[in-house]
Amino acid sequence: MTDYFEVHERDGAARVGELRLAESVATPALVDDVDADTAGAVHTILDDAGSRWPAEPDIPEGDDGAVTILPHRGLPAGTPDEVAEAFADDYPDVAFPSGAVVSPTSAGDHPADISVLSGAPGYVGYGSAFVDALTTVKDAVPADTALYLPGVATPRNVATLVYAGVDLVDPHRAVVRGTEGRYLTTDEAYFLEDLGELPCVCPACQGPRDAFDRSDCVEHNVYALAAELARVRRRIRDGRLRDYIEGQARQDNWLTAAVRIMDQRYGYVEQRAPLIRRAELAAATEDAIRRVEIQRFAQRVTERYVPRFDDRPLVLVPCSARKPYSDSQSHKQYHDAIQWRAHVVSMTSPIGVVPQELELTYPAQHYDSVVTGEWSANEIEFVARVLERYLEGADYPEIVAHVPGEGYREICERVADSLGREFTYTVRDHPTTADSLGNLAAELKGWDTYRKSAREHRTIRAVADYQFGAGAGDELFGDIGTQGRYPQLRADDADGEQLAALAQQYGVLSLTTAGARRWVDSDVPTKTVEIEPFIPHGSVLAPGIVEASDDIRVGDEVVVTGEAAFGVGRAQMHGAEMNSSTRGIAVQMRHTEEL
Amino acid sequence: MSKPSPDVYEQGKGMDAHNAVMREVRSRNDSTYDPREPTRVWLDEDNTPDGVYQSLTIILNTGGCRWARAGGCTMCGYVAESVEGGSVAHEDLMAQIDHCLTHEDENAEDPSGLIKIYTSGSFLDEREVPARTREAIADTFADRDRIVVESLPDFVEDERVGDFVEAGLETDVAVGLETATDRVRHDCVNKYFDFADFEDACEAAREAGAGIKAYLLMKPPFLTEAEAVEDMKSSVRRCAAVDGCHTVSMNPCNVQRYTMVEELYHDGGYRPPWLWSVAEVLEETADEDVIVVSDPVGHGSDRGPHNCGECDDRVQRAIKDFDLRQDPSVFEQVSCECEATYEAVLEREHSYALPLAR
Repeated sequence: MTDYFEVHERDGAARVGELRLAESVATPALVDDVDADTAGAVHTILDDAGSRWPAEPDIPEGDDGAVTILPHRGLPAGTPDEVAEAFADDYPDVAFPSGAVVSPTSAGDHPADISVLSGAPGYVGYGSAFVDALTTVKDAVPADTALYLPGVATPRNVATLVYAGVDLVDPHRAVVRGTEGRYLTTDEAYFLEDLGELPCVCPACQGPRDAFDRSDCVEHNVYALAAELARVRRRIRDGRLRDYIEGQARQDNWLTAAVRIMDQRYGYVEQRAPLIRRAELAAATEDAIRRVEIQRFAQRVTERYVPRFDDRPLVLVPCSARKPYSDSQSHKQYHDAIQWRAHVVSMTSPIGVVPQELELTYPAQHYDSVVTGEWSANEIEFVARVLERYLEGADYPEIVAHVPGEGYREICERVADSLGREFTYTVRDHPTTADSLGNLAAELKGWDTYRKSAREHRTIRAVADYQFGAGAGDELFGDIGTQGRYPQLRADDADGEQLAALAQQYGVLSLTTAGARRWVDSDVPTKTVEIEPFIPHGSVLAPGIVEASDDIRVGDEVVVTGEAAFGVGRAQMHGAEMNSSTRGIAVQMRHTEEL
Repeated sequence: MSKPSPDVYEQGKGMDAHNAVMREVRSRNDSTYDPREPTRVWLDEDNTPDGVYQSLTIILNTGGCRWARAGGCTMCGYVAESVEGGSVAHEDLMAQIDHCLTHEDENAEDPSGLIKIYTSGSFLDEREVPARTREAIADTFADRDRIVVESLPDFVEDERVGDFVEAGLETDVAVGLETATDRVRHDCVNKYFDFADFEDACEAAREAGAGIKAYLLMKPPFLTEAEAVEDMKSSVRRCAAVDGCHTVSMNPCNVQRYTMVEELYHDGGYRPPWLWSVAEVLEETADEDVIVVSDPVGHGSDRGPHNCGECDDRVQRAIKDFDLRQDPSVFEQVSCECEATYEAVLEREHSYALPLAR
């Protein structure tokens, strides 16, 4: 139960929040002991009531100007489990802002506003130990507890610490390094004496180089840490921290290891990754293939999406830089040749394959990858695997590969070989040459065109599969009519009542209450937020929630139901977070009906 | 006085946990030692209430500490030097003494005035060193001036100490008190006795005509640098106030093999104390009515007490100088840039983020 911390925005495990003390502090924040005289920009709001190892400290009185860290037995890294358990602290529920010191073995549902992860100096520097400790603690403590990782932050590592889920850091390590004559930047820990020129213009670095001493170095280090945190807060608000991390983590190998290990232990990041984002997704490194948004798209296309055009030829085309693909010059030319006679699926790195109905769906419309013309072995491997799995679930009578030579052709040949299928290749030189387009059109000769309504209905159904589960499109939208002009489609039932609209910006469906009732009445697993008997207007706050489905992700459609109201909205937290939080907006409501 | 029997020392769950871990850690050590050779022997100089003496220090291999076999102290690896089977016969112990006398003969011009015998256990425990062996050793060294024997406070009894007093030796019992703070001794060191037991042992030694030399441990695991320094200052003062305790040997913890401290150290959760901390305590307690000495073992190494690497030898020399002269001004002559780091550590290190600097 926290009264003093609230999460406002999320970007994966990273969050922007607020410590609601006498003076509000935006997190991720640089916090220090109340009596510290640290030079630079820190919030002096931590009041350590003391360690219980040497003596039993007095019970602190606390006040709302600071977070009181309750008397504790800190457990350094390497503390054997038996010892950690034997000396585990019990924390009282107090009426002032408080912090509980926890370790991976002792973390639990403590009634505190912040959790202080002890032993961090032993974990930081080792990707796997760090991820183990952090994810264990994050999974054990309530989601709306701020996580404080003490004694380890530097300008170089802090972005990755926050990316992993840390909300509070202190300047202690940056100060100590400064006293040691180490000049910290986001890329290095330079020996001060090796720097002929200072690569910074913070207030501490304004004077002449030969007057710059270790005390200035301390001050600079703290400024550099504060500046990096401000950048990270901005990145979280923009939903673009991961893009930054893929570059920044390269500055120290253990940071890159930590990011990759989190990708490998998919569950922790998947639970926290939003279904949709407004922001662009930059695919600029090999790590981009492993990020949740990419893996999730590939997984849903191959496991949830039901091919409904596989009674006619498949045309595989290369992706375009412009999104959605259908707006691009090249895709318009392919379309002129295809003329709704075949199903179009785009091949792309790093997304894999994008059926035409899902071209708007995040991140298909939002990614931008680095194009060199050369494909890496990993890209080829990944896209080939996705294409192969996609084709295994479909039954096309004919496969036309309208793809250029580089990469695309190799992938097609590999998959054709593996599946024992014949692909027809229609490109000479380049996909948009008259010859190539002529070949493509000729290959489809004899096939009729499908109707606009079929295209629109199937688009709604495909997005429903993607969003709600395999077969949901037929289950929920089997008998619909569509209104509007693509991409602004609406789905109505047989009586003309609206069920859903396609949100053009994200390529997902926004349900009406009629749509939500269909979802509840269907066999498709419903993501439900059960609330206390009240009528939510605008939003549902976490304390009003009785129970939420565990599989809810940020951005998911959710049915909100209680004795007094039925409605539908978009999740702002993941399900477990809704269940364990006591503050914050959980659902942004779209439609509410009084019962 | 509490007895080191398993039913007593395994009462608390913290103690259970420490002992279980230490038994497991120690079980990884499969070395054994020859019962006819001492663990170590060396010559040195020592400050005593009667002035500075040449000393012969003997680490007698007696089969080791019984407390350590139950698990034992979190920082103590000496049990690793025990013999197989757990006990050493009278003849073998006397062979070890002969070995030490030979060492002294070969390496010193004159016999040492001061003999110090440690066992990594309790020399006065008759299950470690039988009464007749103790009497024979008292006899062997009767021509010297002073003797120090190591023991837990439980075994400091008139007749056992009396063997040496009656042989005409100025006798001291070295007691591994570690700290005067019971809570730290129990929860951080995992040593079962109380400060009150130490006071009783001092009383018993005094009645037998002997003195007590208290051994303190600077910075057991789980304490911050600042907490460790405070713990030592108050421990020195409390020892000084006990009649019979005329000398305190305050020693910084080092990382010994097959110990819990080594487990923490290995995972980045323990740093031995700064030599600045040793200097700080010696300087601050110099006016106490007790001799305070320190012998930082492994100084300057990662596993031993250390500063930044630049100044370790200079600070160590000042400490050794202080040991002999008890003059706090020796520390005014050493300084280093790393004092700023040390100050930041004292100010900023919390028990939930140990250690703040390497």
